[in-house]
Amino acid sequence: MAGDFSLDGKAALVIGASNPIGRAVAVALAEAGADVGVATTTTANEETVRANSCANEIWALDRKHFTHIIHAGDEADVEAVVHRTVSELGRIDILVNAQDLPFAKPVLETDYFEWHAVLNANLGGVFLASKYAAREMIKHKWGRIINVASVLGERGLVNGAAYCAADAGVINLTRALALEWARDGIKVNAIGAGWTEGMGMIGGDEGKQQLERYLPYKRLAKPEEIAGAAVYLASDAADYLTGQVVWIEGGALSHV
Amino acid sequence: MPVLEKLSLTGKVAVVTGAGRGLGRAMALALAHAGANIVATARTHAQVEETADMIKGAGRACLWVSCDVTNSSSVNAMIDSTLAEYGRIDILVNNAGGATEGMGNALTEVSDDQWRVGIDTNLTGAIYCSRAAIPHMLEQGGGKIINVTSGFGLRAGRNNFMYTSAKAGLINFTRALAMTYAPDIQANLIAPGLFPHENPQMEEWWKHGKFTPMGRLGKDEELGPLCVFLASGLTSYMNGQLIVLDGGGLAAGHAPTGFAPVIPLPAEGV
Repeated sequence: MAGDFSLDGKAALVIGASNPIGRAVAVALAEAGADVGVATTTTANEETVRANSCANEIWALDRKHFTHIIHAGDEADVEAVVHRTVSELGRIDILVNAQDLPFAKPVLETDYFEWHAVLNANLGGVFLASKYAAREMIKHKWGRIINVASVLGERGLVNGAAYCAADAGVINLTRALALEWARDGIKVNAIGAGWTEGMGMIGGDEGKQQLERYLPYKRLAKPEEIAGAAVYLASDAADYLTGQVVWIEGGALSHV
Repeated sequence: MPVLEKLSLTGKVAVVTGAGRGLGRAMALALAHAGANIVATARTHAQVEETADMIKGAGRACLWVSCDVTNSSSVNAMIDSTLAEYGRIDILVNNAGGATEGMGNALTEVSDDQWRVGIDTNLTGAIYCSRAAIPHMLEQGGGKIINVTSGFGLRAGRNNFMYTSAKAGLINFTRALAMTYAPDIQANLIAPGLFPHENPQMEEWWKHGKFTPMGRLGKDEELGPLCVFLASGLTSYMNGQLIVLDGGGLAAGHAPTGFAPVIPLPAEGV
């Protein structure tokens, strides 16, 4: 049975391996057998360290890998990292869009360029990477695009207007892309991540403690708990699944 | 633990209702291949015995039990048999359900009995099974409930009243389970799209899925890995959620209701 979920021989690109979910997804794909290129979307110290340790783990699993720094919303950067995936890993079978630019500010204090920056990185980045990756995937009539969205794509949040709008955009972009490429062998799905340890929108220790009181699990998700869904969605086992959001949110959305 | 090892169900016991054929049989077989021992239930013997033989052929234990999920005594007896045979229950797949008499009737032509049978078959059965299994799951430290709903639980079809109400009810029942029993029990849903169960008549009726985004119908065995995924350690933080396995049908919203106002769904064994 596990054979159906194996990613042996597949080549993956994970954009946003500099955040905890992207990192966990990259490692899980490698554990399942894929070669994985990781793109970091920031040069901030903590994130760079995370991406490097991720690359080390993939290396230790004896998979091909590379790391690459991009601006998620820069077309030339995104095109370049897709090309690098093809040239170093031979193909691009799996694209994971886990780029995540956290942003929280009251709308009245938000400049329009800030709005654009958030939409550009979190939604525009998904559009760009999907476009360039799908060009390659269509040649082989096989591809998987997995977009990491969050509960903020389904529910609003005070001071989260730009982030929420981008995340909701990712969810419906997922559906539209799924239909556009449904007959090209490309499956496009999203993972709807719950509140996950280490992610940027949590708002420090105070926010975390509030969430822990309110969430049905009384704790946040661990990044590895989100990553398992990526393996399923990337595998042949999910061949009839497209245009869906797989929510891994510990029942948070079931709340009244 | 490496990610693929989390998919192993070795040592787990799974109850699959409506396992005599179709999706129930496919899910029971997939769970068995992933390592679980199975309790396969259906109303009638012949087909579920065949399922049991297939599972034993795959090297797993399988107990088949005749069970009418709309009868709570029958359900309780089935769970008792499960515990007597294996001493535990880790996974419950509420798959039994299907078309019932009066489906396709105008509302004024639906009798009280037809309404009740429709709701009992597609909603109450899953509630009886969950109610009987949950105390044992909690006692042993956790469990997984997988409820099989339908695209008709999210959207509607003309002259389809009992089925669509029951399947929608099943979705919110599952959310209530998730809220109540988190984090010990995970309760999630599968909504299969158009699966003809290798029945040429159904394939023809659904035009071989030409109108669906992916251009084809679902194959029963494709439900297996999804069921294993939801039963496995990969979904420890997934609760109260639904995965629609329909080749993009509902993402488009053009199928199946845009194609045919009333679709005669093949009945699963109850």
